[in-house]
Amino acid sequence: MKRLWLVGLSHKTAPIAVREQVALSAEQLKEALQALRAAAGVEEAMVLSTCNRVEVYVRSETSEPGRRFFLDRASAAEGHLYEKAHEDAARHLFRVASSLDSMVVGEQQILGQVKEAYGLASAAQSAGTFVSRLCNRAFATAKRVRTETDIGRGATSVSQVAVELVEKIFGDLKGRAVALVGAGKMGALSARALASLGADRVLVVNRSPERARQLAEQVGGTARPWEELVPVLVEATVAIVSTGAPAYVVTPELLHPVMKARRHRSMCFIDLAVPRNVDPRCADLPDVFAYDMDDLDRVVQGTKSARAGAALRAEAIVEAEVMAFAAEREARAALPVLVSLRQRAERIARAEAARTLAQVGGRLDEKGRRSVEAMARAIVNKLLHAPTVRLKEAAGSGDAMLPGTVAQLFGLDGEPIPAGREGAPPDASPRRAARAAPPAPSPSPAPEDR
Amino acid sequence: MTVAILRVSALLYAAAAAAYIFHFVRPRHARAASVGFGLLWAGFVVHVLSIGWGCAEYGGWEFFNLRGGLGMSGWLAAGALLVLLRLYPMPGLAAFLLPLVVISLLPGVFGAIGARTGSLPEEIRRPAVTLHISVAAASVALFAIAFGVALMYLLLEREVKGKRFGALFSRLGSLDALDRLAQRLVRAGLAVWSVALVTGAVVAQHVWGKGWTWDAQVFFALVVWVLYFGLVWMRHRGIHGRRFAVLTVVGFLVILASMIGLKAVPDITQHQGDFTRREAIR
Repeated sequence: MKRLWLVGLSHKTAPIAVREQVALSAEQLKEALQALRAAAGVEEAMVLSTCNRVEVYVRSETSEPGRRFFLDRASAAEGHLYEKAHEDAARHLFRVASSLDSMVVGEQQILGQVKEAYGLASAAQSAGTFVSRLCNRAFATAKRVRTETDIGRGATSVSQVAVELVEKIFGDLKGRAVALVGAGKMGALSARALASLGADRVLVVNRSPERARQLAEQVGGTARPWEELVPVLVEATVAIVSTGAPAYVVTPELLHPVMKARRHRSMCFIDLAVPRNVDPRCADLPDVFAYDMDDLDRVVQGTKSARAGAALRAEAIVEAEVMAFAAEREARAALPVLVSLRQRAERIARAEAARTLAQVGGRLDEKGRRSVEAMARAIVNKLLHAPTVRLKEAAGSGDAMLPGTVAQLFGLDGEPIPAGREGAPPDASPRRAARAAPPAPSPSPAPEDR
Repeated sequence: MTVAILRVSALLYAAAAAAYIFHFVRPRHARAASVGFGLLWAGFVVHVLSIGWGCAEYGGWEFFNLRGGLGMSGWLAAGALLVLLRLYPMPGLAAFLLPLVVISLLPGVFGAIGARTGSLPEEIRRPAVTLHISVAAASVALFAIAFGVALMYLLLEREVKGKRFGALFSRLGSLDALDRLAQRLVRAGLAVWSVALVTGAVVAQHVWGKGWTWDAQVFFALVVWVLYFGLVWMRHRGIHGRRFAVLTVVGFLVILASMIGLKAVPDITQHQGDFTRREAIR
């Protein structure tokens, strides 16, 4: 897998001030890809640009085109760049696609962003057969990681936890109301997140009517005066409480009549205020579920540690996929010899069959002619079966001698190899590769590709 | 032969339960749930065969005792579960309920099913008797499923309310869905139980000459009806969630206690196929 280089910077190596200098819009990306492709010595290129990272993958003799990409845009990037070669570069792409290198490990957007980067590179004709196979392998790795580990499970932010809890209690909020008590920023965020569960209406209660009105506009809800807190709690199914009050706003004494008026329909309180606004004794009341910041944070921390455990298993998957990809490339290196050998044999078989048919053709009907051709093909296939298997095995075990010996033995040196195939048989998913990958930029064979 | 077929069916149910429990413990293995569903189907079909064979072998007598009644309820519960699993995508349901089905078959599996063989007496060979036995078994099956769902509710509620987001949290549906399901099952069970009471009265009128007697079994049947009717009425008045689940569990425990208790105490009831004391009751 020689000649694959990665140069990039990410949230781990560069501050946002530097990242935003090199980040690219989709339009700029297209131009950058064409420029990269036109650079001397670059066969294929792909650029991944997200808010947390900009990475350039190039297939060339050196990493210089990748470095130039950054330094031409911002000299400040120097010192923040990382560089990986060959298998390490492939490993990095697999880790990135599997969300192992993300700011929030296990987040799901990154795979889409890698797919987008590959799509752009394909559209700009800068991604060839190699990048196509590399990316498809990266996508397959990411899928394995997602299905075989728990890396994507659990909520990673307080508002996500709130949504998950409410979902676990009520399923969805269709036909129900959410009350937003107080004007905290977190409260508004959570109210919006809860709206995703299909809440019918958001009722905003605040001591300042003006602030209540503003907040209601922000979250698409209705403002209610502070005096209507009790009726609002009777009406709502979930109450997000985040006032600046130094004492409890919701107490068991307040809730007794509320629950009675609700005919004891379950109710959930999410207390996002510090100091707390919902008396912890409320959680002891039947049909009342109450969570404070500490509870929500504990879930977030639990998710993070669970994901860290899953990440270990995911790393093993990535490693196995990198090895498999490298082995596949090794195997492909032996294939130009195999293709030449087969082409030569098939050519001879066709010619000999044609000669025979020319001699006896008149005496044979169509069926007979087809039988002669089939026999010639069968002889070739049977004779070449064992050499084919041996050559593939030799490639898999890294034996470079056998292909050379075979080429010498059969006089294959200088035998032409079909362009655009890299001497390789069709990919496991030829349709996908054909759709995704434009014609290989370099028609020359790459027998050293390993 | 009936017992042999029943044993195969019990084994299939047990295998299905194991598959669903495995899926519950390792939710990533979605295939386990599909395998469980297939095994449940197979168990259900084999169970039908055992019931058919039993009818031929014992002439219907086997349904007049606890073993046969429980077996019939288990079969109906398995059928209801097949329907529920199609309607509610909650494989966790099967992990909780299938063991109950297996338990219901145990008395039949480990003992002779029919106490007597041969044709039933002419006086009880009536459609009302068949209907009475079938609907009684069906309502017990429905209450058993409601019991399982209510148990699931209570366990999940304990985790959610106690802020211990453990295994159940990620494996069971929402509390609200479980609550509504338990409520529907209780309502359906009550309706079917009512039919069982009415048909029972019709049968008693013919067999014993009285629609109502102070027989212990008949009395307990009424108590269960009152209990579940109270539950449905309370639900209508707003009781739900934890309290509804607790009462659903209690209701089924009363049914179980009455079924087993009435069998354990000799001569406490003349119900269940004992037609020899007709004169005594009169």
